[in-house]
Amino acid sequence: MPTVVLMDASLSMTRPVSLEGSEEFQRKNLAVHGLTMLFEHMATNYRLEFTALVVFSSLWELMVPFTRDYNTLQEALNNLEDYDKTCLESALQGVSNIVQQEWGSTCPCQVVLVTDGALGIGRGSLRHSLATMKQRGEDKKFPLPFPFPSKLYIMCISNAEELQATDAMDNLEQLLTLSGGEGHIFTMDGPLCLKSVQAMFGKLIDQAYTPFHAVLRCGNLASDVQVFPRPEPVLLDDEVDPVPKAVLTEADEVGAGTTDDMEEDTSTNQMAGKSPNFCVLLHGSLKVEGMVALVQLGPDWYGMLYSQADSKKKSNLMMSLFEPGPEPLPWLGKISQLGPISDALENPYGEDDSKSPFPVQPKNKRSYAQNVTVWIKASGLQTDVQKILRNARKLPEKTQTFYKELNRLRKAALAFGFWELLKCVAELLERECTLLPDSAHPDAAFQLSHAAQQLKLASTGDSQYAAFEHNITPMLTDFSGGGGGADRM
Amino acid sequence: MKTFSVSHKTVIVVDHCPYMAESSRQQIECDMLTKSRAQGVIPLAPVSKSLWTCAVECSMEYLRILYDIYPARKLDMSAHRDILACTVLQVNYIVSDSEFHILNSWRQEDQSVQELMSALAAVGPPNPREDPECCSILHGLVAAVESLCKITEYQHESRTTLMDMAERVANRGRIICLTNAKSDTHVRMLEDCVLETIQEQNKLAAGSDRLMPIQQCELVLVHIYPQGDDTLVSDRPKKEISSVLNSEVHSVRAGRHLASKLNVLVQQHFDLASTTITNIPMKEEQHANTSANYDVELLHHRDAHIEFIKSGMHSIFVFDQCIPDCVCTGDLHMAGSTSRDSGLKETVTLKWCTPRTNSVELHYCTGAFRISPVDVNSRPSSCLTNFLLNGRSVLLEQPRKSGSKVISHMLSCHGGEIFLHTLNSTRSTLEDPPSISEGCGGRVTDYRITDFGEFMRENRLTPFPDMPVDAAGRAPFERAKAQLERHTRYWPMIISQTTIFNMQAVVPLANLIVKDSMTEDDLLTCQKTVYNLVDMERKNDPLPISTVGSRGKGPKRDEQYRIMWNELETLVKTHVGTSERHQQVLECISACRSKPPEEEERKKRGRKREDKEDKTEKNGKESEEKGWAPDSERLKGAIEREKEEQSESEVIKDSPDSPEPFNKKPRLATEELLSLEKSKGPVSLLSLWTSRITQANSRKHQEFAGRINSVNNKAELYQHLKDENGMDVHENGKATR
Repeated sequence: MPTVVLMDASLSMTRPVSLEGSEEFQRKNLAVHGLTMLFEHMATNYRLEFTALVVFSSLWELMVPFTRDYNTLQEALNNLEDYDKTCLESALQGVSNIVQQEWGSTCPCQVVLVTDGALGIGRGSLRHSLATMKQRGEDKKFPLPFPFPSKLYIMCISNAEELQATDAMDNLEQLLTLSGGEGHIFTMDGPLCLKSVQAMFGKLIDQAYTPFHAVLRCGNLASDVQVFPRPEPVLLDDEVDPVPKAVLTEADEVGAGTTDDMEEDTSTNQMAGKSPNFCVLLHGSLKVEGMVALVQLGPDWYGMLYSQADSKKKSNLMMSLFEPGPEPLPWLGKISQLGPISDALENPYGEDDSKSPFPVQPKNKRSYAQNVTVWIKASGLQTDVQKILRNARKLPEKTQTFYKELNRLRKAALAFGFWELLKCVAELLERECTLLPDSAHPDAAFQLSHAAQQLKLASTGDSQYAAFEHNITPMLTDFSGGGGGADRM
Repeated sequence: MKTFSVSHKTVIVVDHCPYMAESSRQQIECDMLTKSRAQGVIPLAPVSKSLWTCAVECSMEYLRILYDIYPARKLDMSAHRDILACTVLQVNYIVSDSEFHILNSWRQEDQSVQELMSALAAVGPPNPREDPECCSILHGLVAAVESLCKITEYQHESRTTLMDMAERVANRGRIICLTNAKSDTHVRMLEDCVLETIQEQNKLAAGSDRLMPIQQCELVLVHIYPQGDDTLVSDRPKKEISSVLNSEVHSVRAGRHLASKLNVLVQQHFDLASTTITNIPMKEEQHANTSANYDVELLHHRDAHIEFIKSGMHSIFVFDQCIPDCVCTGDLHMAGSTSRDSGLKETVTLKWCTPRTNSVELHYCTGAFRISPVDVNSRPSSCLTNFLLNGRSVLLEQPRKSGSKVISHMLSCHGGEIFLHTLNSTRSTLEDPPSISEGCGGRVTDYRITDFGEFMRENRLTPFPDMPVDAAGRAPFERAKAQLERHTRYWPMIISQTTIFNMQAVVPLANLIVKDSMTEDDLLTCQKTVYNLVDMERKNDPLPISTVGSRGKGPKRDEQYRIMWNELETLVKTHVGTSERHQQVLECISACRSKPPEEEERKKRGRKREDKEDKTEKNGKESEEKGWAPDSERLKGAIEREKEEQSESEVIKDSPDSPEPFNKKPRLATEELLSLEKSKGPVSLLSLWTSRITQANSRKHQEFAGRINSVNNKAELYQHLKDENGMDVHENGKATR
């Protein structure tokens, strides 16, 4: 989940804070101190996070585009200049554009807004923005909620009392609600000093930037892993089960299946590179065998592990999370019904690995995989009628196909209550019968008039002839040799 | 998202009254081919569908799309959680004339187009001669409300599962009524009737276990009238009649207008969206060597378009005006529900890319959605679906006027079902991940990669749909986990940590001992394996003990066998509790490996003088009953420890950026001194100094062979004489260890 740090560089940030017996600090210095702490934390514990730095006043500027290089971020932070008044709306619009350009609109993003709570005055102030929100056209919509999933953390370099004295707190709360409610407003406790700013950023780190540690288990083999980006809890049904599902930190690697979906990355620190680690063994074997491992993340929540290589030579163990549920990939069937191959009578993969029990076939075929009859468009009906006529002209060679198509049409016409069509096709067949050339096989005439008669009977709705399950069978004639057996498709 | 939203239950009510037998006046020419054939034949009159036929076929089309995208699932009563995590949509089909006819139930097995077709055939078309006075759609609407009150299997199971939170299971539903109304007042009357029935039924349901009061009901009235007539009923958008009932009215001409209306409704009701695949190259039927480009429209869950919807990329929406007398507002931002209401169809156009598969793109797949073709049996649709069902994949790119091509979707089939996959087309936060070799254990090079590959293949999974639990009540999945546990009780990860797994001779036993139950034959095979090992020891066959980095020839042969036997015992001991036969394997090993007492005695004597390592080993032997974990530690005796040190330096050597091993030369005799010191607690400065000097000196000269093989600096002379006499010479040799 990439992070955008949105830093207030307005003049009000240069307000001094009174500190006893030490050199004078500006609020900006406190903010920089807090962010330095955040960047240091990320550089050591969260180093795969992409972070961008945006500063704003009445204008905004992308100081550092998304990077994992925390030195660059720190350097930019140290060289901040002071500008004019606070204008949050345009800055948020800027953040929205930057994120969408870089990551599109499906990648979740965290926005850390650092401000002193002086949210501007007059036009362009947050108060003004919120007040005029409802009177805008489509082209000037307020940038929140962001088009991408987001969490908004507001770091106030001021304490709660100060914010509540004005309407700043209300405005910020409104902003948070607008963003979709995910996030938090942090204020400083007690006097404004280095210590309290540290405490505040400490809380942010605890909430949003704690690395995700877990244990990956495969029977008695186990390994401590860190998962990045960290998997967030998922809310499945706000009504029946209002508690978000979180990934259990004890992940069970269950077995191997076939191959393909989402993303997550396991990485560990440099320490102890020399003692054998199960992750490395698993990764190596998955890579060599071209297999994936199924991993259980919680009750009815699964994912898979596989070796992922980028364009370079580096590869790592990747974990993809499936949608929570008992059957995340329909072609694997229910996960709870997957068992060891040793329980099967014969190896479903074949002795020479030539077979696979996957994909699991669904019980009922989808409409496109079976020959369904749809006559919504006239052409659909015409095609079906023509098919029958085409086969009718090739009787008796095409007896089987002829009756197959005829019965398909009959069934649909009966279901749709379209008896008129049955009569019409019967007439067509009768006419075909009269148009038969002299060279025609004698059986053709028999079959055509038999079929026409059967259709006519069905079109009366007489339950004896109009039963849906009933099929018109070829007429037994002296020529057809017992029920059209001469023709096999 | 809610499991029990209004979409959970849908009741379709179709009017079967005499007036529905009226013709739609949309004529279909069936007698097409005659024109090119015999002359003088009078073509047959065109046929036309009745209002009933139009209503039935359009409702079947609605259901076809629904079941394609949300197939009915079999409810698995053993897995309660099942219910809470899947989207289950159920349909109840009711036909109304002088009474109501319920054609199916809420049960899953009844959720199929085939079943309904059969039931509809039994109903047949409306009888135009029936008394219109006693026929009414009201019978059906009342039955629909009653049906909505009936609890579905899913609602029942969820209530049972949630126990005291059962009230969280909601009861909402939708009634789609296909009828021919007389007037707006008639429509109002129908709405009032539905509302009254809901109120009555809710009272009844409050006191019943098998009924649930309706919390929310959506009534969709579709008024169907013949082509060429003026409508007597006006369209009305969704309106709240009461807190439990919403109602909307659609007035549509029979025929294709009705079809496209229901197509729009099925999309609205079940969160679907449309994608048109364009530029599909298809061979012409007539001219096989030319190909023309075709378009195919597919429906799927709208989440497959999430990237477009969110980023406001409306430019790629194509507005397809399917009802000629509707006016296109042209406001692209209104692409949402408003344009649908005005009867416009919206679809995202994606271009066919020449089929190819690239596994890299698969990794960035972020979702897969079932599809249903809009025009299922048209030739272009069936060509595309057959192509996919045959196992090919199609990449889809966004049509762009300029710039590089962006591939955003892929069509592919899994097990007879076609899915539209969304691919990540923007930068990924996963780019440039660190290599696994930079992390823990990344510098170890002798992992048993091949062995673990074999292990994985043995532990592969396969579906057991018909055998939910075994005799012990374990689901297949639990059995798989249990098997993993058994198979990993003793599983050294690196080659230099194990002897037995490097020996072909042990394989039969190692494969059998992990089994849950052993047959008599299995036991025999295990015993044979052990005898074979005894034989090997007697013949003094070499063992594949890792000699990586160890000096000279590595441990002596009898020491090698001791290590091997210990490891084998460790393996078997972890399974000893499984069954009697497993126990017998262990007994066999213990019996076979025991040495003649005299030899054992001598060994003890030899070892008394040895360093502490052996003592710890004996301690280990005592503790080894407690569990297998310390065993593997214990296995690293004196030699092991040295070997490990050496193998570590070996490992480091393999990595280009690791430091040089600190001591490449063999450490020779000083080793012994060091190990002696290790065992004696604090080291004096003198001994430190001495050892350092000795170490330094030892590098300068070739050590006297006798001293290398000496015991406590005492070398036995004329060993070869003993050797020739066939006596055991190994006693001395062991001291170097």
